[in-house]
Parts: sequence; structure tokens; C-alpha cells
Amino acid sequence: MWSLSRRALLAWLGSSTAGLALSGQAHVQAASQATSPLPSFTGPGPNPYWNSVNPFVSYPQKLPLLRITDRGIQLETPRPYFLTPFTSNAAFYVRYHLELIPNAVDLSAWRLSLEGNVERPLQLSFDELVKNFKAVSVAAVNQCSGNSRSRFQPRVSGAQWGNGAMGNAVWTGVRLRELLGAAGIKPGTVQLQFQGIDRGPGPAGKGADAVMKSLDATDPALDDALVAYLMNDEPLPMLNGFPVRLVVPGKFGVYWIKHLTWIRAITSEDKNYWMATAYRIPDTPRGNTTPADAASGTVKTVPIGHVRMPVRSFIVVPDGSSKLPAGLPVRVQGIAFSGDGPVTKVEFSEDDGRSWIDATLGPDHGPYSFRAWQHTWKPSRPGQHVIAVRATDAKGNVQPDTPVWNPGGYLWDRIERQTLMLGAGG
Amino acid sequence: MSRNRFPVIILLAAAGALAPGSPVSSQVPKLPGLVEEGKYAPGNLGMQTQPAPRKDDAGAVYAVGPWPTYTPPLAEGKGREVVQSFCGICHSTTYITMQPPLPGATWEAVVHKMIGSFGAPIPDAEAQIIVAYLKSHYTPETRRK
Repeated sequence: MWSLSRRALLAWLGSSTAGLALSGQAHVQAASQATSPLPSFTGPGPNPYWNSVNPFVSYPQKLPLLRITDRGIQLETPRPYFLTPFTSNAAFYVRYHLELIPNAVDLSAWRLSLEGNVERPLQLSFDELVKNFKAVSVAAVNQCSGNSRSRFQPRVSGAQWGNGAMGNAVWTGVRLRELLGAAGIKPGTVQLQFQGIDRGPGPAGKGADAVMKSLDATDPALDDALVAYLMNDEPLPMLNGFPVRLVVPGKFGVYWIKHLTWIRAITSEDKNYWMATAYRIPDTPRGNTTPADAASGTVKTVPIGHVRMPVRSFIVVPDGSSKLPAGLPVRVQGIAFSGDGPVTKVEFSEDDGRSWIDATLGPDHGPYSFRAWQHTWKPSRPGQHVIAVRATDAKGNVQPDTPVWNPGGYLWDRIERQTLMLGAGG
Repeated sequence: MSRNRFPVIILLAAAGALAPGSPVSSQVPKLPGLVEEGKYAPGNLGMQTQPAPRKDDAGAVYAVGPWPTYTPPLAEGKGREVVQSFCGICHSTTYITMQPPLPGATWEAVVHKMIGSFGAPIPDAEAQIIVAYLKSHYTPETRRK
């Protein structure tokens, strides 16, 4: 996969587009628009909706997305855009921590710096990055650590995402390893620290000045990481990190630093707020704990970068917004992915998870990509039905049917369900 | 579907001309299975205008327009202006309204995180006003909208 040339990439993109009968665009079901809008908030119970309840808003280079916050900017991708295994750039979710987001970037002045514990500090221009290094592509899911946070019970503070803080794209750029090789990482390097040009108005040295994330120098994820300047064969939208962003296949989006401008080899563990305090998970199976244990302060935590994204699957259609006539076949479709190897199986349940049948998988776009799935369901009786989906990955991980809880609202991976009302014929 | 629509529109227009002000639905001949039609309601979110293309030059600056804000109003009450001015230094108050109702202790922890972890320059007296405001409007017991 990694040696895929750009030409080969375009070839398979073309062929996979032709083979996307599975994505069945004609089956998109628009909401029947009940006469009342969604409530303005959910809670203290879990958010029962697929997406967050927020309104559609318009931003530069974006289709109408769901507003989580507006300064800094957090926008959620609406459910229908997940009907295809690749998420268009204009529909791709947006997640910033701080408010000083670039509106304009001058590529004649912008440089990607490799600095710190290196033999040859580098300042690479955009053109040098594109022309002097081999272009490599990978299809990979970017998912926010807090995707589906609004499911948590009890609720936790933070961006109240539904399921739409994720997206899948073909990322094209330069291998991080090649850049590190050009700079010459010196012995004694403990971590690599990444920082973008976006920042905040807070005082230096605290969390509201800059977001920096670091990965251990020995982390195998670095071997798969790219510095990407193309997203689905287009320049990155500003809100997704123009001109380049870090791509760390399999890991949560917080490490995929946008507007990547500094790569630093550091000789001691990064203790900045975004590593030492934020984005930490209990060092337990699934990152699970209880409010009581978390409050006691006895739970050992690790950075969320210590784990890969758990296997998840989603029902995109039918979305329950309209009644369906019983007796007609229902095309159930969605996507699945895992940060820990490819999805090997997706199962469908027509009875709320009591029994399962294998769904049909769509084309394989690589281990880190969304995998489309579908199942033609033939419900026979009118009334309420609860359908469910669960995925299994190559490591044998199967989606659990129990909730997870931690104070950060991270790592939600429970089996997804959709309630449907089927009506009588006549 | 769309083929059938045209004659219906003509029919409605004709019916409207004949009987101005009368309910249109009563003028529609009975169509098999038709239960309701021609029902409209004001949209809830207003109209989004389409952006015009930017007039760019061939230089190396890549720009987009200003980031639009869509900030819902905060609940009215004592301390609201203090919340807006201090919390608004670093972020819009959408960060408050987007939360689920949170226990008072959680709001207190959030405000102290802003001061301690992020360096928000909020004096003690104002921090107390902010916490009191959040407890008065954004807990499971107090949140209204």
C-alpha cells in the first residue's frame, strides 16, 4: 500500500468509483422534516440522535455542517455524507482547540521546520516538500478522540459530538520518516513534537497558547505517518489544515496536527498541557473507569496516543427519519473501520442485537480506510424494529455492546443501533 | 412524480383565481391517496446565502473569508455580562450552551481549569460570579433552553 504511486492511486480511485454500486447514492433518504426542530441541547441523559443536535452552518470551503462551536471552530459532518467510503473535503468535520485559526497563508513565507535534536535543521518550502520528496498516498480515517461523546452516561464536559467527528480521505504527501531522515535525528531523541501555525490568545506556557502533540520516537505509527499536502487529490481546506497536516493512520485525530509547521526532536518526555493533562485515558481495557474512581485520583492515565482507534461500525441508512412500508426490501448501508488493522467482518442484526448475520463488505481501500458495508433486509411485519451493526477487525477485536466511561469522553465504541418504524401496506 | 406535478400546479393556480382567499385544499379534486398538500411553514434556521467566488491573484497567498460566528444567546440573569466578557476572551459562549446540563461542581471545575490550565485572567470575585451564573442556568436542575 505504501509504495502505491500517484498514478496507481488515481487508477484505483477511478476503478473504485466505478465499483461503488455499493454506495448506492440513489438510496439516500432525506429526512421527512417533522414540524418541530431538534431540541437545542440534550442531557442529562444520553444524546439519542446519530448526530449532535446543533444547527447547520456555513463556513468557507465547506458544505453546511453542524455547529458544535463557532470560536474556536468545531463542525460535525452530517450523517448522509457517510454513505460513501470517502468523505468529501467540503463535508469533512472540523475540530480546533483554540481560536486563532489562519484565514490566509502565504506559501512564499511559510516553511516546515525540522528542528531540535537533529543533525541538519531544515526549513522546507511548500515547493521543496512537493518536488524534492517522493509522494505517497494512504486512505485513512481521521476520527476525533471524543467522537460520540454525547453518548456518555453520566455526561462529561467537552465538545458534544454525535457520530460525525470522523471522516475518511486519501491523503497524499511525504513520509514523515523521509523528512526525519533528511534532518538526521540524533541519538537521545525521546519524542517527536508537532505544532501548527494555529494558536490561541492565552499566555505562553499554558494550554491556550499553542497545541503541541508528541509521539514516542519508537512508536511504529511514525513509520506510517505522512506530512500530507493533498486530501482526496485536492489541496487541504483551510479548516482541515492547509497547507499541510500530519497524518497518523490508526491514531486519533488529535495527533494529526493541522497547518503543521514545526517538527521537533526532543530529548525528554513532552510535558506540555496537551500531553501531560489533556487527552489522557485510563490505562485500563477500553480506557474504561467509573466517575468514583476518576474522582479519587487513583486512576493511572496514559496519552490517548498509546492506543489505536477501536473498531467501530455505523448505520447510515435507513436513518429512521421516515416510516418505511413493511414488505419492501430495505437496503441497510454504512461504514466500518478500525485503527488496529482492517475490518474483516461486519454483522447486521434485525432484532436489537440478539442474532447476527454477515453483511456484504464493499471494496477494500486499505487497512486504515472506511469499509462500506450493506445488507438487504426484508422486514415482514409492521411496527417498531431495532436494527444493529457490529464490526470485527483483523486482530479479532469485536465491537462490544456495553458503554465505556472516562472523564475525557474518549474511545466510544459501542454497537450502534437504529430504531425504525415500519408501516402497514393495504 | 415530477411529471404529475405540472397539471396540479395549474389546477391550484386556477382554483386560486376563481376563489381568492378560500382554502386551496378544498378546491383540489380528490386524488387517490392524497391526504395533505400545499402545506408550508416558515423555516427555522433562516436562509444561507451562497458565497461569491473570491477574486484571487496569482500570488502565493491563499486566503478565505472571515470565520462566521453563530453564537446562541446566553440565558438572561445576573452575571451574564461578566461571563460574556471574561469567557469570551478566548472562546465564544457557544462553549457553554453546547454542553449538556452539568452539575454545579463540574462547572466549578471547568472555570478553574480555564484559570489554572489555560491562564484565563479572571479575578477571584469574577470567577465566583461566573460559577454562580453557570449554576443558575446550566445544571440539570436549572437549564431551560
